[in-house]
Amino acid sequence: MSLRSGYFKKSLQVDLSTGEFRVRKLSDEFLERYLGGRGFGAKLLWDHLVARDFRIDPLGPDNLLVIAPGPLTGTYLPSSGKCSFVSVSPQTGIYGDSSIGGSLGVELRQAGWDLLTIEGRATELSILWIDDEQTTLLPMPELEGKTSLEAEGMIKERLGTHEVRVAVIGPAGENGVRFACVNADWSRNAGRLGMGTVMGAKNLKAIVVRGSGDLPVHDLKGLMAEAEIAFAYMRQHKYFKMWQREGLMMVVDYASAAGILPTHNFKDGTFPRVGQINGETMLNSHKIGDSACFACPMSCGNICLVKQGRYVGTVTEGPEYESCAMLGSNLGIDDYAVVLHANQLCDELGMDSITTGSLVGAVIEGYETGVISLADLDDQPVSWGDGAAVVALIHKIARREGIGATLADGAPGVLRRWPGMEKLLVQVKGLEQSAYDSRAASSMALAYATSDIGAHHARAWTIAKEVELGENWTDEERVDEVIYHQSLRPLFDMLGVCRLPWIELGLNEEHYARFYSAVTGREVGLPELLAQSDAIFQLTRLINNRLGMTRRDDSLPYKVRACPIQTGPTAGRVIDPENFEHLLDLYYQKRGWDAGGNPPPEIERQHAGCSPAAS
Amino acid sequence: MARKLTAIPELCSGCRICEITCAIEHFGVANPKKSAVHVLVAYPHPVVRLPIVCSQCLAPLCAEACPVGALRRNERVVEMDSMQCISCMKCVEACPFGAMYAHSDLDYPIKCDLCGGDPKCVQTCPKGALRFIPEQSLGEAKRLNNILSYTHMKEIEFTEKGEPRTIRYAEIGKEEL
Repeated sequence: MSLRSGYFKKSLQVDLSTGEFRVRKLSDEFLERYLGGRGFGAKLLWDHLVARDFRIDPLGPDNLLVIAPGPLTGTYLPSSGKCSFVSVSPQTGIYGDSSIGGSLGVELRQAGWDLLTIEGRATELSILWIDDEQTTLLPMPELEGKTSLEAEGMIKERLGTHEVRVAVIGPAGENGVRFACVNADWSRNAGRLGMGTVMGAKNLKAIVVRGSGDLPVHDLKGLMAEAEIAFAYMRQHKYFKMWQREGLMMVVDYASAAGILPTHNFKDGTFPRVGQINGETMLNSHKIGDSACFACPMSCGNICLVKQGRYVGTVTEGPEYESCAMLGSNLGIDDYAVVLHANQLCDELGMDSITTGSLVGAVIEGYETGVISLADLDDQPVSWGDGAAVVALIHKIARREGIGATLADGAPGVLRRWPGMEKLLVQVKGLEQSAYDSRAASSMALAYATSDIGAHHARAWTIAKEVELGENWTDEERVDEVIYHQSLRPLFDMLGVCRLPWIELGLNEEHYARFYSAVTGREVGLPELLAQSDAIFQLTRLINNRLGMTRRDDSLPYKVRACPIQTGPTAGRVIDPENFEHLLDLYYQKRGWDAGGNPPPEIERQHAGCSPAAS
Repeated sequence: MARKLTAIPELCSGCRICEITCAIEHFGVANPKKSAVHVLVAYPHPVVRLPIVCSQCLAPLCAEACPVGALRRNERVVEMDSMQCISCMKCVEACPFGAMYAHSDLDYPIKCDLCGGDPKCVQTCPKGALRFIPEQSLGEAKRLNNILSYTHMKEIEFTEKGEPRTIRYAEIGKEEL
């Protein structure tokens, strides 16, 4: 059955260079095949790159930024507040996307847009103000150098209302830090891959949205009934209350006990003083409030306050597990107040906390091993657990001062200046690895290596299962699990919902097919949606290959293949390069790609015919 | 028994499930803006997440501001008669809590009617931040949460079945009254 509802069938195209706004009617074929969010972004980026023969400067005016919620965003469904940012990443030079929670996507849809595309470069620092059907490009040079929170306040004052959603970049984005994030609803971020850098390069400080319209839903009663089943399932889950209390912070203890918690720049897998930065410490000493994205009963966000000591008054939402590990144990920091402060700085200066923590960790180890000199550090030494020095480094990165100017260019910049850092940087394709040590789980190593955006955990999070099943898992099962995750996970980003109810509380993926059918009136089963979702992963792979990626880039960081974990239950574990190559062969084979990792030519043909624009 | 709809800000996560529930219940549309409850979110100073709900005041300023008497307090709620309403929205501005709302699609203000006595937002709130409680229980959460901050209590820590516990108690007779 074909599409009956679920979309506004129009996109807003913004050219910042000319200041022109164009409305494009979207074709049913485009909406049905690409669904929304990451799907829209991948297809539009593919078309954009084909037209330019895959020659693009991620920081140039030519780069395309797609911001797209999905058809389920803003409806009465669990955790339906997601919105994708898609662009060519200035951090990796290949396809990049990052999703943001909160209410930004809901507001954008209420303003009547299925998606927003941004090209060009504004002549001066500006904000894009989308007020229902009215769009304005407003120069606000006074926002220069302002933190995300300061800028948001000034924007709300200028517009005379606080009932707007503001997606904003900090000074890092303006200064071309390659891993700048976009911040909205205080502490929700499109964190990875430098989506904030793209905005900064376009002289776009913020996108401000206010929408009031009804969201199109084909069968609201049917949707309510399906949603109630899902909400009820989540409420009775044995970890539901725990999620509300601790959110992702509960993973800290688990990861340390399992020996997969990045510690001292991935030297160790367990942090002896983990009790000082875990969920319990947060609850007992810092948490002052709960925070959730739109329509999410799990409320994984924790609003935390530092009540005493050097960083007293620091108040922020977070950190969640990744930030806590990368800015905590990975730097040897055992004081939750420092982690909170570093996390707040990353949010307000506008930088990805995972990459920031990883780079700072590598710098500490580089200094420790003599690769980086004291002069390189601007004569300010830094060591494990030295919170003040870490905080100073974060400031320097955002402002590109001293050593910060090098770190701001990410892994490639660091390698250009200190080739010896190759052995200390834990990254794939230029993206620093998330906070799950893959040496204890070869499926996770494969997941990081074959991820289309670099070493990010959200593409395939297989580590918990492998830690649980251990040696009883065959290589074939490992590869299948990675492929299943990679195939299914785009679907959540495409529909505009969060994956956590599924991955963490086990809400069956079949629900999402029923949600989609109720919202759009297009009756489809999960297998069909899965095929559509997998097609997006294949498409982004194709984009990357055209941009120059080969099998060589589906690689492991030096540490993962050559340096065993030093302490903890996983001590001695390392990924055997030969076994990894075998896994990779098996992966390509099961994917239907050739030995060089190239998808077959028909993948390209599948995407050629479909035009986004309705005739 | 008279019941009040009330919100406990300490529990609210700002998820807005109440908004969308209200919109669907009253207007049959997925539109969190068409709701008689809106979650106020402020940060970072102060940090506030609070659903703004109608208190069904006994001396309602919304009704006082209404020039045509379209708002009237019956024994349960402040009721709106849309036949009399002239859509001036003075009531929306008059409410001291900002708990009445207007929307450009609608001719009338959005007024909480407690869903006929069983508020849907209370049922769907995943945090228990919205409560529909007897009037004499109003302030219950505050009484419990704040007691330690203004009473002089002693503390002993002990272990029960291996779990650390704390008991707080008042030492009677030793304090000068």
